[in-house]
Amino acid sequence: MRNESPESALQRLLEQDRMSRRRFMGRAGGAAFGMTALGALLSACGPAEGQNESSSGGKTTEAVSHPKTALDTVVFSNWPLYIDKDVIKDFKREFNATLKYTEDINDNNEFFGKVRQPLEQGDSIGRDLVALTDWMAARWIRLGYTEPIDEKNVPNKANLVDNLVNMSFDKGRKHSLPWQSGMTGIGYNKKVVGEVTSFKQLLDPKYKGKVTFLSEARDTLGLVMLAQMGKNPEDATIDDILAATEELDKINRSGQIRKFTGNEYSTDLAKGNVVMAVAWSGDMVQLKADNPDLEFVIPEEGGMLWSDNMMIPQKAPSPYGAEVAMNWFYDPQVAAKIAAYVNYVTPVKGVQEILAADKDKDTAALAENTLIFPDDATRQRLHATAELSVEEEQQMNEAFAGVTGA
Amino acid sequence: MGLKRRRALVPFVLLGPGLAWLVVFYAIPALTQLYVSLQEGNFEVGYQFTWNFSTYTEALSDYQEQIFRSLGYAAVATILCFVIAFPLAYFIAFKAGRFRNLMLLLVILPFFTSYLIRTVAWQTILADNGFVAERLRDVGVLGEEGRLLATRTAVIAGITYNFLPFMVLPLYVSLEKIDRRLVEAATDLYASRRVAFTRVTLPLAMPGIIAGSLLTFIPAVGDFVNAQLLGTSRQYMIGNVIQSKFLVITDYPSAAALSFILMAIVLTCVLVYTRVLGRQNLEEAVI
Repeated sequence: MRNESPESALQRLLEQDRMSRRRFMGRAGGAAFGMTALGALLSACGPAEGQNESSSGGKTTEAVSHPKTALDTVVFSNWPLYIDKDVIKDFKREFNATLKYTEDINDNNEFFGKVRQPLEQGDSIGRDLVALTDWMAARWIRLGYTEPIDEKNVPNKANLVDNLVNMSFDKGRKHSLPWQSGMTGIGYNKKVVGEVTSFKQLLDPKYKGKVTFLSEARDTLGLVMLAQMGKNPEDATIDDILAATEELDKINRSGQIRKFTGNEYSTDLAKGNVVMAVAWSGDMVQLKADNPDLEFVIPEEGGMLWSDNMMIPQKAPSPYGAEVAMNWFYDPQVAAKIAAYVNYVTPVKGVQEILAADKDKDTAALAENTLIFPDDATRQRLHATAELSVEEEQQMNEAFAGVTGA
Repeated sequence: MGLKRRRALVPFVLLGPGLAWLVVFYAIPALTQLYVSLQEGNFEVGYQFTWNFSTYTEALSDYQEQIFRSLGYAAVATILCFVIAFPLAYFIAFKAGRFRNLMLLLVILPFFTSYLIRTVAWQTILADNGFVAERLRDVGVLGEEGRLLATRTAVIAGITYNFLPFMVLPLYVSLEKIDRRLVEAATDLYASRRVAFTRVTLPLAMPGIIAGSLLTFIPAVGDFVNAQLLGTSRQYMIGNVIQSKFLVITDYPSAAALSFILMAIVLTCVLVYTRVLGRQNLEEAVI
């Protein structure tokens, strides 16, 4: 979901008229470069004003109040295939207001490049809500690019699952609310490799060139740290991360890794070009629906847990509208509808019960799926990423790019 | 304004749109990138202009592997394109008769589909369990564990395929212009067919050969789509590095520096190439 390559972008383009994401996944894929790339390039040209803030906390939360106003339009930027489009229509029916939902986030960095300049100048970016992955959300909050949430307008915030309430980058969720969460683990074809339980199996020379890793540095390095160094990525220092990069480099030089991918690994897995992949849980649920031989596992050494977080950007046209929308997404009924479509881990309490009671057999079965509702044993093995300073992040990106070849 | 004055202005008026286009879409972006390439910093603390030339030397030493790889792949692909395109262009120009326009259309036809979609189609063609790979395994060309996709072969094949029309068309144009009576004259003067070809046809086709190889080589060096879709990180070219520096790592100065290094290298290659083959030919190629 988070780091889209040209291939997955095209896949999206090719199948834009699909009805359900589940049906859509796992077919032949393709690519089209986001026009957004151009925007990022253009915004790269101008020199930026110096601006740096200390790494924790961001703006101290003053009392915020977004008084009720008439609802007209709420602009929400999100990742592709990340909502059941019916929910948008429901919103219209419920509030008689338009949820202008655009799928223009293909990549955290790319999106950041696109909106960086107005944010830096303290301007509005014309959106009321954006959903960005933890580390990028942390950066926005740290730099003061977000508008705090007026909790009076979001009573359903109480439905947020407990383990996501206190994040290091946003204690008590004053600026952000998770949209969906997901796990990073191993996707594999059990018909070819049998059962996979350990990261070590990815390194089996028998499958040289038949394995892909993710191009998202935090995911791939997190798994390497857990498995090869016995290090918890949550409290990894930059030195640990660089050591993990070296470890990864060794693995890559042996020719074991076929590719570093965004979510186009799903195409390779479905076609049989690849038999094991470092993968994201939601994708695998959908792939499995098409090909029952495909499995997803959180390796015994551990996997990663991440969220994409809704935030109100500074000077949003309608912060109240954004809060109404967030509140609505946190209604378990609505959240259940979204969860049934996207198959990622929902951050909203009560969804499992609603799905289990669904009349549709397939939908009810989702309630039992541990990839959507990880059990406690699985959760124990999941880890978040460490927070890095800007310099450290750049160091990591450069070292990682040195391994992935670009 | 006298007629004479107005006459004198005509060339400038005619040049105007082209010049404006060059200034707006080439000169200004190039200068901006030059400015960016000499900056220091990162997106969060901002960039300062510091005449930081070390970006260039660092980029050059860090990414020489990808630079040489790009040049190598592009050169091999250009040669392959020539080997495939020359007989084809020759056939279209001299033997195709009434099918000539149809064949030209077929050469251009792939352009009707997006470059990316065509490249992605190669993923299916070269897939590990695909027809081609299976047959090659059957006849033993490919080892039991061998594969086509995600290899150097796939990347070079992709580049060759994608840039082939850029070689065929200029070759066709210059071959088609050849006065066949010159070849007849050569044979009348007891030149064998081969000598007539090497002494008459080939030199006359030179402008097309130069134009075709430049049109193939230059975009091929900077290409990153084929390496990304058909290769692995061990096949990545300099274009991949620039793309990721701009969009993923957001290290704008070194991305800009690499772009300039690439430009300088390509320019040098073109100069050497045309020096060797003669400037006269280049001018004709352009015309």
